[in-house]
Amino acid sequence: MEPILEWLAQTDVATYFRNSRWGFAAVNTAHIFGISILFGSVLTLDLRLLGLWRKVPLAPFSYALPRIAAVGLALALITGLLLFSVRPSEYAELGVFRIKLALICLGFLAALLAHARGSLHNGNRRQQIITGAVSIFCWAGALICGRLIAFMA
Amino acid sequence: MKNLFCKTMITGWFAVLLSFLPLSAFAHHGWAWSTGGNIDLTGTITESKLGNPHGILKVEVNGEIWTVEVGQPWRNERAGLTDEDYAPGKEIRFIGEPSSDESERLLKAERVYINDREYELYPDRD
Repeated sequence: MEPILEWLAQTDVATYFRNSRWGFAAVNTAHIFGISILFGSVLTLDLRLLGLWRKVPLAPFSYALPRIAAVGLALALITGLLLFSVRPSEYAELGVFRIKLALICLGFLAALLAHARGSLHNGNRRQQIITGAVSIFCWAGALICGRLIAFMA
Repeated sequence: MKNLFCKTMITGWFAVLLSFLPLSAFAHHGWAWSTGGNIDLTGTITESKLGNPHGILKVEVNGEIWTVEVGQPWRNERAGLTDEDYAPGKEIRFIGEPSSDESERLLKAERVYINDREYELYPDRD
């Protein structure tokens, strides 16, 4: 793992963002955009799955929100990799960073599973509640761990 | 079923978050973690990690290793400091605020002196 992290740290892209004032600020801001797009849409869908707004049909939620979430996730992943490249070894050994990555993987896999099983369309109540709860747990946890990186590193 | 599941999830979640909080003191961001008063530190740089989001030096001061937070690249550059000035082996003097937890040996530098020349990282602070 360490050779890959060292290689990443000395790439031109990493060197640029390590030294640039506004380049770094721009990626940082774009990362927050990605997170807000992702978390806002995921939270709305999850609350509906948990039982809020039962008068409104699930279909519009499960049509629009996963698409918005996917865009947010893509943006957060790309910018996240750039931010990571600035200090790879340091972040990789950080507890909160590892927990964050684990929660992202878990949240992503849970979302794929929910889609594969059709939980967002025709799942039973119990399946929907579990899907919503696991999702909030993962993404809110990832967000909190991510913010904590700045206070640990 | 529903209630038990939700309770387990929420409890587990807070347990995960709380478990790592005491491991490391909050540092770096802003000045809230420092004492508010300045100290004077002179030593030799042993290790240097410069660049975003923070420039960090290890400095040997009378046999003790201090961690000194210096500027981001733009702040060092504005002060007139180059990476060469922060290279390991260099003699350097800092004025800045230490962490309020003294055992941390952590200092956020406001001013740097090299060969008696002053470099201001935070010109508005005293």
